[in-house]
Amino acid sequence: MSSRRSRSRQSGSSRITEDQIADLVSKLQQLIPEIRNRRSDKQVSASKVLQETCNYIRSLHREVDDLSQRLSELLASSDTDSDQAAIIRSLLM
Amino acid sequence: MRQKQIPNKARDTAMKNPTNSLKRRFSLKFLKTLMRIRKSRPPPSPSASSSWEIRWRAQKIKLAAYFSMALSVGSKRTWSRALTMKLRATMGNRRWSSWKGSKKMTKRRIVAKKNMEKRHLEKDMNSGLQQLRQLVPGGESMDPRSLLEETAHFVRCLETQVRVMRSIAEGFPC
Repeated sequence: MSSRRSRSRQSGSSRITEDQIADLVSKLQQLIPEIRNRRSDKQVSASKVLQETCNYIRSLHREVDDLSQRLSELLASSDTDSDQAAIIRSLLM
Repeated sequence: MRQKQIPNKARDTAMKNPTNSLKRRFSLKFLKTLMRIRKSRPPPSPSASSSWEIRWRAQKIKLAAYFSMALSVGSKRTWSRALTMKLRATMGNRRWSSWKGSKKMTKRRIVAKKNMEKRHLEKDMNSGLQQLRQLVPGGESMDPRSLLEETAHFVRCLETQVRVMRSIAEGFPC
């Protein structure tokens, strides 16, 4: 009893177990297109998942950069207000 | 009756995954800001050219995108709170410094975090976790489990942001 208590006396509120981490890593794995698309049967290592996640986040930031530039060019080149408002509203529907 | 479990599950899912309502909230906020940016004029500058003006607006649009997303997520996520605070500070200073870098943690906290990681996780996860800490807003002070959860949510929101920005860009009349 006492040994169990001493083993469980770790980081305060949320005890982090290997299983929980593995579970979260596998959830992350599902999100990353790199890993999702070249799906092999063998398990991807956790460190690989984290590395690919970092790469993916960086590539998303680059896309945001590109799209911001593109949107800025489009804003500069277009004229009427009302046309755009209608088109954009229709995009949301 | 198991009815009580269902609302909890829905709330859980909403907490963990961005939804269509988030996409909507983001789209509206972002578009409003976009229209405002369109009407804005850059500060007078000796080197002002149209391409410089376009670059100036592009920076504002980028900020608006991240800010709109962080606001749409609200205060329920650590990353969105951290990002909102960071961007407010950035926009107050009117300078787009590289906010993607991490803030300096005090040495004691860094050592404490590293010890916790070494104790529970494979060694080669640590470098990945360290990189994630710098990429995910507010990640420096998260425990590994929260970091992974926040990362998943952050990634999904970033994808939503990119998707909306792309569909706006493609929907523009040429």
